[in-house]
Parts: sequence; structure tokens; C-alpha cells
Amino acid sequence: MESFTAIILAIFLPFAAAIFIPLLEKFLKHRIGWFAAGIALLSFALIGIVAPEIIHGHIIQHSIEWMPSIGAEFSIYADGLAMMIGFIASGIGVIIMSYSNGYMSHKEDLPRYYQYMLLFMGSMIGMVFAGNTLQLFIFWELTSITSFMLIGYWRDKPASIYGATKSLLLTAGGGLFMLAGFILLHTITGTYDIATILQNPAIIENIKAHPFFLITLILILIGAAAKSAQGPFYIWLPNAMEAPTPVSAFLHSATMVKAGIYLVARVHPIFSGTEAWFILVSGIGIFTMLLAGFLAFRQTDIKAILAYSTISQLAYMMTMYGYTSYHEPGLGVAAATFHLLNHATFKACLFLVAGIVAHEAATRDIRKLGGLRKDMPITFIIASIAALAMAGVPPLNGFLSKEMFYETSVEMGHIIGGPFTFLIPAAAVLGGVFTFAYSIKLIDGIFLGEKHHGHLPEHVHEPPYTMLVPAAFLAGLVILFGLVPSIPVHNIIEPTTAGIVLEEVHLHVKLWHGFTPALFMTVITFIAGLTIYTRYDSIAAWQDKFNARYPWISVNYYYDRIVDGAKGSAKGFANFTQPGSIKLYIYAILFLMVILFAIPAFMMATQVFPANLNFDIPPYEALILTLMVIASVAAATLHRYLPAVIALSAVGYMVSLVFIYLKAPDLALTQVLVETLATIIFLLVIARVPQTFKEKIPKTTLIRDIGISFTVAATVLVLLLNATKGIAPPFESLSHYFLENSVKLAGGHNVVNVILVDFRGYDTLGEISVLCLAALGVYNLIKSRGEGE
Amino acid sequence: MNNTILSITIALIFGIGTFLILRRDIIKIIIGLSLISHAVNMLIVSTGVFDGEKAPIITDVHHGSGSGIIFTDKLSEGILAPIAPSGVETPFVDPLVQALVLTAIVISLATTAFILILAYRIHEEYGTTDVRKLRRLWG
Repeated sequence: MESFTAIILAIFLPFAAAIFIPLLEKFLKHRIGWFAAGIALLSFALIGIVAPEIIHGHIIQHSIEWMPSIGAEFSIYADGLAMMIGFIASGIGVIIMSYSNGYMSHKEDLPRYYQYMLLFMGSMIGMVFAGNTLQLFIFWELTSITSFMLIGYWRDKPASIYGATKSLLLTAGGGLFMLAGFILLHTITGTYDIATILQNPAIIENIKAHPFFLITLILILIGAAAKSAQGPFYIWLPNAMEAPTPVSAFLHSATMVKAGIYLVARVHPIFSGTEAWFILVSGIGIFTMLLAGFLAFRQTDIKAILAYSTISQLAYMMTMYGYTSYHEPGLGVAAATFHLLNHATFKACLFLVAGIVAHEAATRDIRKLGGLRKDMPITFIIASIAALAMAGVPPLNGFLSKEMFYETSVEMGHIIGGPFTFLIPAAAVLGGVFTFAYSIKLIDGIFLGEKHHGHLPEHVHEPPYTMLVPAAFLAGLVILFGLVPSIPVHNIIEPTTAGIVLEEVHLHVKLWHGFTPALFMTVITFIAGLTIYTRYDSIAAWQDKFNARYPWISVNYYYDRIVDGAKGSAKGFANFTQPGSIKLYIYAILFLMVILFAIPAFMMATQVFPANLNFDIPPYEALILTLMVIASVAAATLHRYLPAVIALSAVGYMVSLVFIYLKAPDLALTQVLVETLATIIFLLVIARVPQTFKEKIPKTTLIRDIGISFTVAATVLVLLLNATKGIAPPFESLSHYFLENSVKLAGGHNVVNVILVDFRGYDTLGEISVLCLAALGVYNLIKSRGEGE
Repeated sequence: MNNTILSITIALIFGIGTFLILRRDIIKIIIGLSLISHAVNMLIVSTGVFDGEKAPIITDVHHGSGSGIIFTDKLSEGILAPIAPSGVETPFVDPLVQALVLTAIVISLATTAFILILAYRIHEEYGTTDVRKLRRLWG
């Protein structure tokens, strides 16, 4: 199979499968999850087909025309970075969707769940393989939307709705900043194509020297930070934990939140090697790493602890991707990439364990949990492996990437010099200390110590194999990557790093690499981590106290104020523009109409009433017109509905006579038909609506309304008298064209007919749609009658 | 030059319709809307861009319509409408306004039917056709 086809299939297969899920569910019932997992496996295999080519250093590029008018193509850019995240998205996808078969109750709305999951997976794969920035943006926002759907999966829980809204506002909103950044990038380079920019050193030089450099970088980074919950945007991720746990494991630890990191890596070659890159990216990273690591202490929900830990771990990667210097722009890239891969394995595994614990022990509160090691020994071992990997304990994979983090931090400190020689490694170690402490807390709080019998069921069981095996598989990867790092490093990390730094890379990662500063820092981390852990609860209590005392030192406080405030002002605006009184609306419309008609009439006409008025009229026409006015007056003044409606239909039939006089036979025919129908509907309705209400018009109202009506009538008259007085239009009427071409092009002699069904056929289609909508509306109005009573 | 008496009639019907839509009774408002749409339809047809004698039905194929009219309808040149030199006489009335109004007539039927049923349902649910009372129900 051609590589391009394979990638296209890997992207769109999940989308296609999502469409068929409701149908298949009829046959497969609750086994539909295995179908979804199978699709994920297929996507994984399809990426696997192209992997050897990419690992050998070839970048797959291909594009097909999409929107040529704005220079947008549908293109694929498959390098190591895209391959790695594609593998993570589909591979973790297989694991999560298998696990979901055990986790999700059969009573849940399973088709909806798996549909969103597959849609998300397709969007994620589509995003990483996107060959141009517009396409990247579209798939990026698709992941935000599917994430919104999945967080809000339990639609009747207010907390789900709150979390879903928050994540959508922040991640999709951040995406708009990113789009603005991409457009600026297009302004600078003249292209949306990622490959063109990356493969042209001259263009990259040009970007770095451009006055828009900094603003472009900031805009793109806002998008990345919002998506990856960095800096002040971190607040959406803890609330996203309202999603079902497999969703948290998939989207909010392993894949979607990595999209921001992916974006940083993708634009790394364009912006790195500058001070701004280091200050912004590493700055956000270090700040978030310390803050989120620290805030994890006061969380009591094990999923919330994991959420804060995810934010902090993503910040590690941010920090490392930010490490850069003029001579070595890609200083931290290999370390960051390796950590990205490792984090996907151990964090997804921890979330699966959290799901197992919640499923079996019926609580996620770490204060109520404890002593589960005897009840669920296998889960205990799996959780310990994953948590120790997160803590950076050898020989697990987290240890390796953390060592690399420390190493690069020391190097970066040396490059900057001054106090930073010490400060940057110190910040890295402090982040590691926090991580160590909460990782131990997870094991200790859930599995060690005494069982709180009051809070937990008497017998807690191991979960079914559908849940245990996926978690065990991930734990196996954690050990494998730790013991034999050459497998992931040669096959995944090297090509990925090469894709980012744009040159060939050879890495040597070993468990034991002598007594280095990094090893020394690790030892400090473990000692300090254990020391802090002894004071874990008092730190958490202090945080609670601080938060209660200063509630305004919190990003959430401002988010809630802004969002709630927006609700208030939106309501105020709606109340002002929509006060609810029909009369006021009509006044506004009529006032605007008079103004719009009167201004041009007075501007164009030297005199309001032209001199050469044409009062010459045949008697039969005069009779029709007189009768029409009389009938109108009758329709307005007759109190009872029936005579008024008859007067109205008299006006309508006479209008059709006027159309004949105006040489419009088609209109006359239509008018007769329509008037007949309208009269029938009128009669049907007024037969059922007795005239219970008779309006007594007060004199002042009567005078005012007559005044308004007279003004409107006068305006219409002035308009009509001046309508044909040679106001030069910007261009001539299309009518000539229709008259000339009616027979020639359409073969029709009745020009009005030809216009309606041929030249402007789509307008008629629109008209038919309006009729259908009105008919649907009428049908539903009548149908709703039964339900109301 | 269109007929002045017709113009006055149209303006009068428009004014009467306006008076009716300012009423409180929904049925009266609907009658007013129908009158206004009649007035607007006649207004548009009576102000066709050019005056001809015949209805826009071409009977003489060989004659065509506007012998001698020069059209440029090349979109690439940025002209959206063909240009006919001013002062060209056509034997027909304007077909375009008629096509527009034909659509308008049908759509006004759709909206009239919809509001009528709405009024009927409102009366059924709330027992009134007074819009001011309904406004109070809404709060």
C-alpha cells in the first residue's frame, strides 16, 4: 500500500467507523467496544506500515488540492514526530477502548461514547499528520470539540457540564489565538504549508528577523498553553476529570493534552534558538511545573491528583522543549520527546488504575481509601510500577527521561550562566521532589496502611481481565522501556528528534551512566521527596487554609467571575434589545423604514411630488382600485373576524386583477391560487378561535397609530412616485440579460418562468425549503397540542 | 411613469396594514401583515426597471428581445451584470421583478399560514389572542 494512502486511511477510518457505530450496535450490543478497539488497532497498524520508511529518515509528504482559491491543500507531512504521536493516539486508543468494555456499564449510552472516542482519535491522528497549518487548526479544534463532548458525557451532572464548558472555552478559545498566529505566519512567509517553511532555512531566517516574530510566537504559544493546560490555563484540566475515567486516561493524560506539546515541537525549528523561545516556553514550563506539582498536595480525589500531576509533567516537556541556545537550538528536544512517550505509558496506566479502584471500591477519595494491597494485589503491583516510574525510580522509564531532564537543565544553566547555573537545575529538582512526594502518596494512600472499613466495601475484588490486562500491558511497557531503552530510542525517539531538529540524531541512553551531576540530583530528589512526604498532610492543610483565606489568589476565581459576569451582561443586553413588547419592535422597524426611504427620496428628488403626475386611468381600473381601498378599510374596521377575513380575501383577488393590468399573468395566477389557500387557512383558524377579545382603542392611541400609519403611507407614496425618476443604479438591471437569453440559453418563452426554474433555480429551491419549513412548523405546532395537556 | 392613482392606492393599503399591525389582537395583526404584503408586491411590480408594452412572454423567436443590445457577461472582467446602453427600448415589461414577487407571494403564504396556526395554538394554550396579555404571561 502506498504510504500516503495508509496515512489517509489511518485518519479517516475512525471517522467512517464512527458513522456506522449506531447501526452496528444493533447487532453487537455491548460488544461494540471491541469493534471500536479493532478500528483503533487498524489505525495503529496502518501507521505501522509507514513507520519503517520514517524511521529510516524519509519524510512522507503528499498533498491534494482542497481549497485552491485560498491556497489551502489537504496535505500530509509525516515525520518522526507525527509518527510517534500517531502511534500514541492509536495505541493508547486500542488499550483504552478495550478497557472501556469492562469499565462502562452496559446500561450507558455506549454508541455515543465510542463514537466520540473514535472521532477524537481520528482528529488527533489527523492533527499530527497535518501538512499545513489550516488543516492542523481544523483537526485541533475537532479534538477540542470531541473532548468537550466526552467531558460532558454524563449530561445530567452539573459538574460535567461545568467542566466541559470550561475546557471548550479555554482550549477552543486558545485555538483561535493559534489560528491568528498561523495567519501572521502566512503573512510573513506567504504559505500555510508546514513542509515549505521547515525545509527552507532562508524562510526560517526571514521569520526570525521579522518584526512580527514575537507576536506570532506568543499567539501560537497561547494556543499550545491552553491546550496543554499550561500557565494560567491549567484550570480546565482538573475539571475535565468529570469525564469517565477511560476518557481521562486517553484524552486528558496521554493524547489530547499532548497536542499543545506537539505544537511546540512542530514549530520548534521555526522559533527556537532565540531568547524569546527560551524565556516564553521554558518560563511557562518551569512556572507550571512547580505550581501544579505543589497544588497536587491538597487534592483528595485520586483523579484530581493525577490531573495536577499531568499538568506538572506536561510542564516538564514544555520546559525541555524550551531549552535552547544559539549554538544548540535543540538542546532539550530528545529528553522532552522521550519523556512525552514515557509519560503516555505510565500516566495512562495510573488513570486506568484509578478507574479500577473507583470501580471496585466505589470511591476515589484518597482519605477513605487505604490498605487495598491485600484485596487487589495485582492492581497494587501495576500501580506501584507506574507511580514509581512517575517518581523517577530506576530501572523504570520515568527514571531515564528524568535523568535527561536534569542533565539538560544543568547544561542550560551553564549556557546562561550567572545565578541561573544554579537556579535552573534547582527548579528542575524541586519539580522532581513534588512529583516524588505525590507519587508516593498515591501508592501509600490507596494500597498501604490500614483499610478504613467504614468507608470501603467489606471485600474489594480484582477487576475483570478486560480492565486488568490493558493496565498490565502499559506497566509492562514502563519496565521494558526502562530496561531496554534502545528499543524506543532507536525506533521512535531518534526519528522524532530528527524531525524536530531537522538533522540526523544518534542518542545513547543507558540505565547506568556513571556518577554524573544528574545522578547526584536524583539522589537529592529522593531524599528531599521522602522528607517532604512526611509533612505531606500538613502542607495540604496549609494550602487549604491559604485558599480559604485568600480565595482571590486563584485563576479559577477570575474564570468564574468572568464567565458568570458574561452571563449577566448578556442577559442585560438581551433585555435591552428584546424587551418583549411587539409594539416596540414594530415601532423600531417602521421608524427605520421611514428613515431609509425618506433620506434617499429627499436627497434625490428636487421636489417630493413630481410635476408630471399621471392621473389618466381607464374607468375599469379605477373601479378595481377604489374597491380595493374600500375592502382594505373594511378589513381594518370590521370588528368580527369573518367579515374582516372576507374583505381581506377580496383585496387579495383584486390584487390579482391589478397584476393582469400590470402585465404579469404569472403573478395573477399565483395570486389567485395563494389567496384561495390563504383564505381557507384563515377560515379554518377563525372558526376555532372565538373572538373573546375585543380591543377598545383609547383615543390617544388611535390618534397616534393613525398618525404613524399616515406617515408610513406618505413615505411609501413618495418612494413610489420617485422610484422611476432616474436614480442611477450602480449597474444596469439583469433583466436585459434574461430577456435576451431566455430563448437562446434556456429554450423557454415565458421569461418569468425561465428565471424562476432555470436562471435562478436555486432561489426557487430556497423558496421550496421555506415552504417545507413552514409546513414542518405548522405540523409540529399542531402535534404539540396533545403533549401539553 | 407608473400610474399615480395606483401608487396612491398602494400607499393607502400599506398605511391601513400598518394601522392593523399596531393592534393588540393577533388575528388583526395577521390581517395587517397580509395587507402589507399585498401592497409591497404591487409596489415592486409597478416599479419595474423599464416600461414596455408586452408581458414578458416571447412569442416571436426570430425577433428576440433586444436587437442591437450589446452584452458583456464575462465574469473574469469583474462585471457581474451585463450592461445595456441606456436609452435602449425593450418591448416587454421587466420580468425580473415579476420573478421576485412570485417568490414573495408564495413565501408570504407560508408565513401567513404559520402565524395563523401559531395564533390558533396560542389561543388554545392561553385562551387569549391579546399580545399584551401574552407579554405579561411571559414575565
